[in-house]
Amino acid sequence: MDDPLIVVALLLVAASASAAVATRDPSRQALVLAVLGSRTTVPRTDAQRMLISPRVSKARWSPWDHEGQPSQVP
Amino acid sequence: MNGWTLTATAALTVGGGATVWGVATGPLRRRVVAQNLSTSLACPTLLLLAQGYDRPSYVDLALLLALLGPVGTLVFARLLAEDLANDPPRAWGLTYAVAAFGGGVVVTVCVATGPGRALVKLLVVGALLIGGNLTASRALAGGFTGSRRG
Repeated sequence: MDDPLIVVALLLVAASASAAVATRDPSRQALVLAVLGSRTTVPRTDAQRMLISPRVSKARWSPWDHEGQPSQVP
Repeated sequence: MNGWTLTATAALTVGGGATVWGVATGPLRRRVVAQNLSTSLACPTLLLLAQGYDRPSYVDLALLLALLGPVGTLVFARLLAEDLANDPPRAWGLTYAVAAFGGGVVVTVCVATGPGRALVKLLVVGALLIGGNLTASRALAGGFTGSRRG
């Protein structure tokens, strides 16, 4: 929640997914799903950035601390 | 958060919200215009994020989106040709505004990138983005009448 961009992107994904569910006509639903597909691009790139970034991955995903010792993960 | 990501957030908030609202409500002609503009807005947003996060690989995503977005709109124009024939969408003001936004973003990112191979890729993205957006909008408005006969 630190980055407002992620919040906005996920809100747009949720809104367009809800609109796709609420649309009954198949052709109009296809239009909404096309927008949903383009909207998911931004949170996907953000997730990729979080996973690949060395600083973030070291801090959140690696079981090793900065000195090469196993960290105390509960 | 720097200026690039702030601009991307603003574009995503205003443009993304408007396109989601436009594609979910209203007549069919407004929905197809909103669908067309959604890809035209997502591409400059990815270019801004590539610069803001210092990840040049995002430009490849923007290139793919600039290439496939108008193709998807052309498919919809072909699929909904009969429904749009009586009431064709005419939103040239919005189309030119989004194309100008995309062009402005491409020029700004080109200036920040500097000469090199990345600049050529950015120029290709810009040409595909603006050309594809205008072509798809013209197809939606019934500009290519011969294509309706298959």
